Amino acid sequence: MTSEIYSARVRKLFGNPAHAGSLAGAHAARVDDQGVSVQFFADVADGRILELRFLAWGCPHVIAAAEALCAQYERRPVSELKSFEAGQLMQSLSVPVEKTGRILVIEDAARSLAEMLGKI
Amino acid sequence: MIYLDYAATTPVDSRVAATILALLTADGDFANPSSNHQAGLRSRAHVAHAAERLGALINAHPDRLIWTSGATESDNLAIIGAARARAHRGRHLITMPTEHKAVTDTFAALEQQGFEVSWLAPDSRGLLEIAQLEAAIREDTQLVSIMHVNNETGIVQDIAQIGAVCRQHDVLYHVDAAQSLGKLPLDVGNLPIDLMSMTAHKVYGPKGVGALFIADRPGCHIEPLTYGGGQQKRLRPGTLAAPLIAGFGHAAEIASSCQADDLKHLAELRDQLWGGIRDVPGVTLNGDIDGFPGILNVSVDGVEGESLLLALEPLCVATGSACNSKSQEPSGVLRAMGLSDMQAQSAIRFSLGRPTRGEDVAAAVELYCNAISRLRGIAPEPPA
Repeated sequence: MTSEIYSARVRKLFGNPAHAGSLAGAHAARVDDQGVSVQFFADVADGRILELRFLAWGCPHVIAAAEALCAQYERRPVSELKSFEAGQLMQSLSVPVEKTGRILVIEDAARSLAEMLGKI
Repeated sequence: MIYLDYAATTPVDSRVAATILALLTADGDFANPSSNHQAGLRSRAHVAHAAERLGALINAHPDRLIWTSGATESDNLAIIGAARARAHRGRHLITMPTEHKAVTDTFAALEQQGFEVSWLAPDSRGLLEIAQLEAAIREDTQLVSIMHVNNETGIVQDIAQIGAVCRQHDVLYHVDAAQSLGKLPLDVGNLPIDLMSMTAHKVYGPKGVGALFIADRPGCHIEPLTYGGGQQKRLRPGTLAAPLIAGFGHAAEIASSCQADDLKHLAELRDQLWGGIRDVPGVTLNGDIDGFPGILNVSVDGVEGESLLLALEPLCVATGSACNSKSQEPSGVLRAMGLSDMQAQSAIRFSLGRPTRGEDVAAAVELYCNAISRLRGIAPEPPA
């Protein structure tokens, strides 16, 4: 049953979320909505994200999406995170359309973090 | 793979598979059991033998059994067939929201057709209070449908007492026995049951075959839902699936012979499983530990159910009923028992079977505890 629901990439990201966890003293942004909780933590220097971590309560697609986002934007300029949109991530993870709301929670949390980091 | 989803389906017993195979091919008794030539008569004899075997398991006369495609069809035939047959006497029906979808959706369809349905709420364990049933029965009540063993929680309803109340009021009583056939004693010769749905694939028989028991007593009639032939007293016409029926009969006979051993085996495994997970913080049992030992349903705080199910791989278990597992909706059964959406959503149904070994349960306990620990470890603090 599950093999029909989750892509190989989702399974890999969910099974090994290397960026799961928190960063003490780091900048953090959290969004709770749609029955999902996502919190991102970032250490930044010179406008660049040095480390990016997440904590998430949600379905496997939410956890996989949070992990994918962290992997994508770690060591990248904060400005790139500002332009993050959930649509591309949903496509690359083959997220079912009925879960759009949940993935938008990740987008909200990421943009909230980017906005915070942009003010530093 | 560690398979603990026997309430969804069971593997076919190899002895049953041999019986089925012998009726499929040209060198076997493959003929239409309605045909009157020699080959047809041989096929018909297999069907009759199966009815004797299934009848023996539930103490029913073989003539009182109607073969169907499974419990869902049996439920539909019993409920719609009885409601229509007795509509001239009244149009009030009674059931519970904790029944299988094959029952609840059928009653919902009847509501759309002008029947009135009383949905009796269960207590926190999922059980029906008899006083509630007595209060709900009216002069125009024609049918009560309450299952024996709940497919999600394993709770066992007191079908003897429910049936007795129905008899007192001349109301037909239908039992969905999909989860209890061959696993718990079922004696329709002595129980006040009018209609009983059964299926083969939960008792190590094949998928695609079931049966409906119809009691031989005044007023216990149903109308057919399909037309097109004279088979099975015109109640369920169509060519009989003789190989599957023969397999069902054989599975029933095997169940008869090992029911007591199976129950003891399941109780030991259930105790091992519950003993291994009961002390995990936030774990709660849904149902009753004194229910059918083949099913254990547990919820856990702080863990999302869909992620838990994936994290449990290669363990095969269910969230809600198997028919419902693709749905994002929390189990209606658990919600009716008073669980919150979050509690219902984290519920996992472990169901044990004849082939389950102690090592399987030990591995399941380890996987469950590790999955909870891992998911809690990556979850933020609950919102304030």
